[in-house]
Amino acid sequence: MRRPDVPALVAGVALVGFGGVLLLDAVDTLHLTFASVVPVACAAMGATLLALGLSRRP
Amino acid sequence: MESEQPTQQMPPPQPPPRRLTRSRTDRVLGGVCGGIGRALGVDALIVRILAVALLFAGGISLIVYVAMLVLVPEEAEGAEQPSSLRDANTAVVVLVAIGLIVLAPILLGGGLLVAGLLFPLAFIALAGMVTWWLVSGEPFAGDAGDVIRRSSLGLVVLVGSALLFGAGFLGAGIGGDAAAAGAVVAAGLVLVVGAFVGRVRWVILPAMALALGVSVVAAAGISLDGGVGERDYRPGSSAALKDRYELGAGEMVLDLRRADLPRGDTPLKLQLGMGQATLVVPENVCVASKADVGAGAVDVFGDTNAGVNVGWDDQPEAGRRGRRVVVDADVGFGALLVRHDRRDLGRHRRPDRGDDGPFGDYTGPGNTGCSDA
Repeated sequence: MRRPDVPALVAGVALVGFGGVLLLDAVDTLHLTFASVVPVACAAMGATLLALGLSRRP
Repeated sequence: MESEQPTQQMPPPQPPPRRLTRSRTDRVLGGVCGGIGRALGVDALIVRILAVALLFAGGISLIVYVAMLVLVPEEAEGAEQPSSLRDANTAVVVLVAIGLIVLAPILLGGGLLVAGLLFPLAFIALAGMVTWWLVSGEPFAGDAGDVIRRSSLGLVVLVGSALLFGAGFLGAGIGGDAAAAGAVVAAGLVLVVGAFVGRVRWVILPAMALALGVSVVAAAGISLDGGVGERDYRPGSSAALKDRYELGAGEMVLDLRRADLPRGDTPLKLQLGMGQATLVVPENVCVASKADVGAGAVDVFGDTNAGVNVGWDDQPEAGRRGRRVVVDADVGFGALLVRHDRRDLGRHRRPDRGDDGPFGDYTGPGNTGCSDA
């Protein structure tokens, strides 16, 4: 089986999760504010950057 | 008798026609001057000196150089230089480009127009290169053609990301927040599947931009329903007063000074996506206000609260026979102002009052219609 591209995989999983949170807000199950969105967005971007950085190591 | 055979002399081989190509071996930037020097049979250094000199004559050599960089092909592969040298050339390209950006406005003098064009172009090219490096992982190495290709691809990704940010913002803002969130999930799934199938890293940035646009709208509670522009409402009677005023983006002023409000409470709902909403009331009317602002400020007769996710609740009483407007405002990005006079609005700042706050230093009367004022 082909080895997956880890940064793309991590970013994809993070976006599916983030999109799910946005979807819950859209159907009024959650009420998002900047105080809750900013950490979630930072976590998603941080995980992606971490995966990108680690994938570039020799 | 021996007869001498006349010796036939072969004509010397004709040199191949001098075709103008960019040199792979004699180059500082893209091999243009090296190629011209070889085609003309002169030292490339002379061509370079001439090119730099013409840079001061309105920057004509720069335009010709860029045109030749794009139009003139490189020489054949055989003369290719080792990769370490190519990398060194790339470093020179970057350094010279930065030097040109910094020095061009000083050196060009009369050619400031060229400098003015050069700076944004160089900045855009650099932004494209950095973007492509971030999304693809391809290093800065390579010749001028590689640099241009990567810069162009990076710019395509950058512009696409900006468009997707806008699409996410607008889509969620006009009420399609569930669809926009679904698009974010779909983009994530594309990345997950693509990670096993092919090279999809370039999708990461546009997908993140889309998610960012949607999340800003969700966090600020922005609603772009109600249109865009300026709205100025001046109801002439209490009957003409609506219970709800709405604007998507822009400036809304609701002036109640001629509305002849009835005794007791008059409920009022203000909804603004982005911009400024201003309520103007007579001095004998009390204002009770409750507001949610995603990012921005509330200013009620000089009492202010500003920041992110601002919650405002001020419920003074008007007295037994008084008049009270009960405002419930919802602002995404922007501000809610309550004043007694239109001249006290933020756009009519008075320097003589020492205006230095976000809406000026308000010195007018306070919430004078309330019983405890």
